[in-house]
Amino acid sequence: MDKYYMGIDVGSVSTNIILMDEEKKVHYKKYFRTQGKPIEILKEGINNLVEEIGEVEILGVGATGSGRYLANIIVGADIVKNEITAHAVAGLNFNPHIRTIIEIGGQDSKIVIIRDGIVVDFAMNTVCAAGTGSFLDRQAARLGIDISDFGSLALKSKSPVRIAGRCAVFAESDMIHKQQLGHNQYDIAKGLCDALVRNYLSNVGKGKEILEPILFQGGVAANIGIKKAFEEALNMDVIVPDNYDVMGAIGAAILAQEEMKNKRKTNFRGFEILNMDYKVKGFECNGCSNKCEVVEIREKDKVLARYGDKCGKWSSLIGDNSIKLA
Amino acid sequence: MSIKVGIPRGMFYFDYYFLWKNFFNNLGVDVITSPKTNKDILNKGVELCVDEACLPIKIYHGHVDYLKDKVDYIFIPKMTSIHKKEYCCPKHIGLPDMIKNNIRNLPPLIDTEINLKKSHKNIKSSVFHIGKHFKKNSKTIAEAFQKAYRQYQEYIEMTTSKIIPIDINTKYKELSYITNVKKENYGRRIMVLGHSYNIYDYYINMDLISKLNKRRFDVVTAEMVKENRSREYAARLPKRMFWTHGQRIVGSAFALIEEKSISGIVYVSAFGCGLDSVLIDLIERKAKENRIPFTLLTLDEQTGEAGINTRVEAFIDMLEWRNRDEIDLSTHG
Amino acid sequence: MKLTFPHMGNVYIAAKAFFEELGQEVIPPPRNSKKTLEIGTKYAQETICLPLKIMIGNFVESIERGADTILLTGSCGPCRFGYYSVLENNILKDMGYRVRFIVLDPIGEGVDKLKKNVYQLFNAQNIKDVLEAAKIGWQLIKKADYITDLSNRKRAYAINSYEVDLIMDNYFKEVEKTFGAKEMMELMDSTIDKLNRVKIKQNFSPIRIGLIGEIYTVIEPFVNLELERKLGHMGVLVEKSLTPTIWVEHHVKAFPFGSKLERLKHELAKPYLKTAVGGHGLETVGSAIYYAQKGFDGAIQLLPLNCMPEIVAKSILPNVSKDYSFPIMTLIIDEMTGEAGYMTRIEAFMDLIKRKRRTVANG
Repeated sequence: MDKYYMGIDVGSVSTNIILMDEEKKVHYKKYFRTQGKPIEILKEGINNLVEEIGEVEILGVGATGSGRYLANIIVGADIVKNEITAHAVAGLNFNPHIRTIIEIGGQDSKIVIIRDGIVVDFAMNTVCAAGTGSFLDRQAARLGIDISDFGSLALKSKSPVRIAGRCAVFAESDMIHKQQLGHNQYDIAKGLCDALVRNYLSNVGKGKEILEPILFQGGVAANIGIKKAFEEALNMDVIVPDNYDVMGAIGAAILAQEEMKNKRKTNFRGFEILNMDYKVKGFECNGCSNKCEVVEIREKDKVLARYGDKCGKWSSLIGDNSIKLA
Repeated sequence: MSIKVGIPRGMFYFDYYFLWKNFFNNLGVDVITSPKTNKDILNKGVELCVDEACLPIKIYHGHVDYLKDKVDYIFIPKMTSIHKKEYCCPKHIGLPDMIKNNIRNLPPLIDTEINLKKSHKNIKSSVFHIGKHFKKNSKTIAEAFQKAYRQYQEYIEMTTSKIIPIDINTKYKELSYITNVKKENYGRRIMVLGHSYNIYDYYINMDLISKLNKRRFDVVTAEMVKENRSREYAARLPKRMFWTHGQRIVGSAFALIEEKSISGIVYVSAFGCGLDSVLIDLIERKAKENRIPFTLLTLDEQTGEAGINTRVEAFIDMLEWRNRDEIDLSTHG
Repeated sequence: MKLTFPHMGNVYIAAKAFFEELGQEVIPPPRNSKKTLEIGTKYAQETICLPLKIMIGNFVESIERGADTILLTGSCGPCRFGYYSVLENNILKDMGYRVRFIVLDPIGEGVDKLKKNVYQLFNAQNIKDVLEAAKIGWQLIKKADYITDLSNRKRAYAINSYEVDLIMDNYFKEVEKTFGAKEMMELMDSTIDKLNRVKIKQNFSPIRIGLIGEIYTVIEPFVNLELERKLGHMGVLVEKSLTPTIWVEHHVKAFPFGSKLERLKHELAKPYLKTAVGGHGLETVGSAIYYAQKGFDGAIQLLPLNCMPEIVAKSILPNVSKDYSFPIMTLIIDEMTGEAGYMTRIEAFMDLIKRKRRTVANG
């Protein structure tokens, strides 16, 4: 039976699962929409995996992304890491000389600055969505363009329009305005790419020393219009790795491989999880005026996890304190 | 029944509660505070306050609203200046005016101006103005304040002798801003910077200090650096820092950066904070020059704890990664 | 020394002529444009207020034209403006520019430093030279403001309001070609002459709006998206609560007591806001009441995103509005160049005011 490490990245927009061998070669990768039901998607993802390559031996599991703790509860992970570290690990594995990682996903964007193979600085977008994938998705829909054509359309632009992009709401109303003025789709598409890049550089990238080689990863890296806009704005080359869309999951798998060097048995709960029935229940705690919304995950009669309470009254009830969801 | 004065648990509470409370008590007045910030207080504050204001100002509105039916007076001094030739934030100065215009059916406010811009002696007239509500004799008022001030100085002594202000709960129960902090020495420390009302209100910052302690880091804050030391370092800025909070935050940061006694800096800032937009820039530059890692947590009422956790965890990973690498290098070399 | 300074409405017109007259080489920045703003947002920290961003753009564009010295007025709190010079110096250093800053800080920061700076700038040997120079400067400022006011008045009353724009655009173009105070005065006089010849409507009483709020956004037309012109074309008479003239009268001419007008506004604001809160927060509240009492139809508050003093003022204005039954709208000014949403708000506000006028007239 083939032996693999599994990497899982549960984000708010997408859930990615990969399998990687001892040589860190990726054998399986799958991308799912999280659609606000991460548990079902995780089960579906594992199911998909079994159907495609049959049952394999899992040597270790790494979980990352904003839903990393949930992935840990459902699948059983050997290491649970934040997505910034996971992305850096994967980027360094792709090219050990890398000095900058630009990562733009569905709901958030990051920059990681690396020197001599060490993360020395990083930043994430603050409260604004104007520099993320979902912003582009929405605007593409508004323009009636398929998101996968968006980049190539932008490349055809000869005189891009300027779209104010500091805030998604402003950018959207400005784009509609420009549309009404009769600008063509190419120029508006390019204008949006430029706005996203400008916003990224002046928000996430502000004050960061961006040096080559630069890696561009995350779902938005598929968009050649954005890649081009980055290259123009920075006047530098930008590299998009083959597995740009699952770098977080790859990083998690690599971290799991490292973790397993000092461990004998993986925490992976096995492929049986497919047949398990998870019940999720939410309730409002009336213990104090915080009125926390507590979520409880049960497998049959066993409470797997409780989270959402600020004081720890519920989450600490189930013995294992380490399972605490954000 | 004695008179009750309400002190909202927000803004300057975290700096001066102790001074004020003792002053009022010494005058024979009961002091009532609002509870620690919670969801109801936050929601109420967001509802009452203008949208453009920063999170701590909104939360303060919630605290005032909580107290308004429970006390005879609410104490919201107009904090114009707390040091000679220096200022507080414009929103601190306008705070009682904002409250009066935003909240209906308030009990009488004690909104005496504290303005030490021209001279520190001006505190006297402010103290009398406040005390006059309760006692006629100016000597009684002065004595009540002097006694409170001595108690307050004891507290300042303690914070600067390496006890996190929030750790003092064992001695002064009412100052237990955060209760679940262990006092332990991990031998490595992170500086948590920002306005006192952001770093000691654990609802606002989602209990950042506990998160750092859990990852085995000691925490040092601006309040723990002696004032004269902060001022000495702040004086190195090319222009006189005219905000007292700026003096404290920038000066303490510069001091610890230059003596290289911290592994990193986490700056907690409320979205839209005007002072922070200046202070962060100055500190981040200094940290960069001295290769001290720096990260910024920006908070508003929509901030999710997941995002904060990711940032904090990634920051600590980065510190440990660096550290490990340095050890590796030395063993190889 | 090749001197430049940030744009702030029409101040550059007076400043250019004034310093040329004193024998300084002056390189005013090109008029504010999208490019100015783009440079500013790219290099300034994201969270800082808008005026700093525009200023960075101004400085870079001036330096590219050869300027090596930047003149800036200072302050010492509590508004962020007081720390601009330090932040700006850092940003320009990051970009690799080496320039000198001359910051005119208030007298409280040291008389000698201010004196030294002023003497150098004014090419003055003694106090007499300084006063002599100041007189010319004052004349220029007053006249430049007079032209701005006149153009606003004419625009509201003009049969063809765009005629005013043509005259003003031409004036701005000609400004760059003049040298020294004499030529500038001549240009100003001929512009006034042209404005006075614009044909105006008879028996017309325009809506009167007071523009209140943060000084930079009130004075600088690029930043407030040419609000004066927009309102003027709608037949609205605009009066600004703050102009360079008002500022100089209050801070320099009547120092240290302050001008009568500003003191009046402070008094008016007192029941709502007891003390100054930095910037022009107190003036904003006072001006709103001042315009209400003078029978204006409404006021528009300009608030650059995150401006601390104006946020305090904004909290208070709804009560002023209610007590005086005086419509006040707040426009938050950010770096968005999209005008659609902005125009919608202004038009809706004007409709509201017109409706109010009709009900009052009928009722």
